Amino acid sequence: MPARLLQRQTSLLEYLTSADAIFGDGIDAPSVPHLQGFDLVPLRLEACFSHEKRMEKIIAAFPRTFELLGGDKATLVRDFVAACPSVDIRRIENARQFYDFVCARWEATQPQPSYLRDVASCEFAMARLRGRVQPSQPVASGRAMRFRRNRDAVFLPCAHDIRPIFEGATSEAPARRDLMLAILIPPRTNEPAIFEVPASVYALLVELDNWTGRATLGAMEGLDELISDLVGHGLLEVSR
Amino acid sequence: MKIARPFPAVGIGYRSAIGGWTRENLAHFDTLEITVDHCISSGESVASEIFDLVGQIPMTAHGVGLSIGTDVPLDLAYLDKVASIVERLQPPAYSEHLAFTRAPGRDLANLLPLPRTEEIAEAIIAKVRIVQSHIPVPFLLENISYLFEWPDSAMTDVEFLNLICGKTGAGLLLDVENLYLNAHNHGFDPHAFLDDLPAGIVKEVHVAGGITVHKDFLARPVLADSHSHPVPDGALDLLDRVLVRHRPDAIVLERDDRLREFDEILADIRRIRARVDVVKRENDHASALVAASD
Repeated sequence: MPARLLQRQTSLLEYLTSADAIFGDGIDAPSVPHLQGFDLVPLRLEACFSHEKRMEKIIAAFPRTFELLGGDKATLVRDFVAACPSVDIRRIENARQFYDFVCARWEATQPQPSYLRDVASCEFAMARLRGRVQPSQPVASGRAMRFRRNRDAVFLPCAHDIRPIFEGATSEAPARRDLMLAILIPPRTNEPAIFEVPASVYALLVELDNWTGRATLGAMEGLDELISDLVGHGLLEVSR
Repeated sequence: MKIARPFPAVGIGYRSAIGGWTRENLAHFDTLEITVDHCISSGESVASEIFDLVGQIPMTAHGVGLSIGTDVPLDLAYLDKVASIVERLQPPAYSEHLAFTRAPGRDLANLLPLPRTEEIAEAIIAKVRIVQSHIPVPFLLENISYLFEWPDSAMTDVEFLNLICGKTGAGLLLDVENLYLNAHNHGFDPHAFLDDLPAGIVKEVHVAGGITVHKDFLARPVLADSHSHPVPDGALDLLDRVLVRHRPDAIVLERDDRLREFDEILADIRRIRARVDVVKRENDHASALVAASD
């Protein structure tokens, strides 16, 4: 009995997303069933095109990570293809697949350079934020105001101060120090930005997980200025 | 508010990466083709940029995410989203590719051909009818570019398209670039393809420019539909032939790479308009001759 079309489509897609087809490893003897009669040369070309398009999406999300990968790049991409075939058309889902893959890899083997994990995490956070609309905020003044941590902001504990890499300002390796970075789209802008959040400020932001009235926060010296600054950077949302 | 649309309307596919430039240069275009999937899955800011253009310029709606050829029931939740976007854009038609892109567990994000058999055509016909019942504007199918053939294909491209469109009343979004490079890559006569289409079936046209691919495992170079370069003259020659027998509502230039080559994009728009003008003049002249001889 001939195979149902869905079986043949599934087999075809499994082959087109395989390292065999993409890198030409098994072009003479594909192990996928239901492909009898196909000309394998154009299938390999189709696989290459689709792979290149997919990697363009991923590299667009992780440009600095890929720059820093150096000689490991080809092996890493090959291993990624073998472990994570394409399952979703969306850019962010392909970026997520790649990020999960490199995190698992770097769990087992320290990446080179050592700050690559921080860079990749930061780029993935930025990719997740792009395309979101920032609601306009009321002006943060008056004790009747309520505040809440910006739920879209990503807080990223890092082992290196990688901000200079994103500012394009230096070719030196980032300084090794533990710090908390916040990645978010600041008010009235469209692109994600990276801020360092001191430990005391982070503790305040964690407390403000839910809407909290200004009066509840007490009368600590400089608190109004701090709140105003956090609202200005987009780290706090304001409600009347 | 309805905006007057020249006939045929000449425009481009809206791409958010050059959304600012597009908005500043609307005067160059009669229409924008909106990819509905960009409204669905590219984020709120892209969707709101697109919806802000409603009322400023006519739009037509195009899709890439239906995968009508996958041998599973259509994703009705996706079609509902498309329907709500179509309601907002008020386009004259909604188009999708006669292709499949995915199967459960895999999504190639690339358009793949179907086996061209009567059995497959019947399955597609049933799905086209479902789309037509969900979407409140006429549905158009687009011919894709393809690199490989299914070994059991028993019909030509044009026979397959004609069968499905004929039985459903769906119009054709004819991608002349796809026709141009399929004819080159698979060695058939594109003029015979055009001559075999019923007059009037082409409701919209896509044009684009691709690249020539050389790989060590290919016996000869292959043309690829990269939407990255100026439209080849050969594709515009096919457009001329289309315009003699069909009256498409829109001719859309597709560009997805080298997007910031704005001069190339505008030059292509002028080249398309020049071709349209020549064919219109020739048609007017022929009509005048017929009238004079009566």
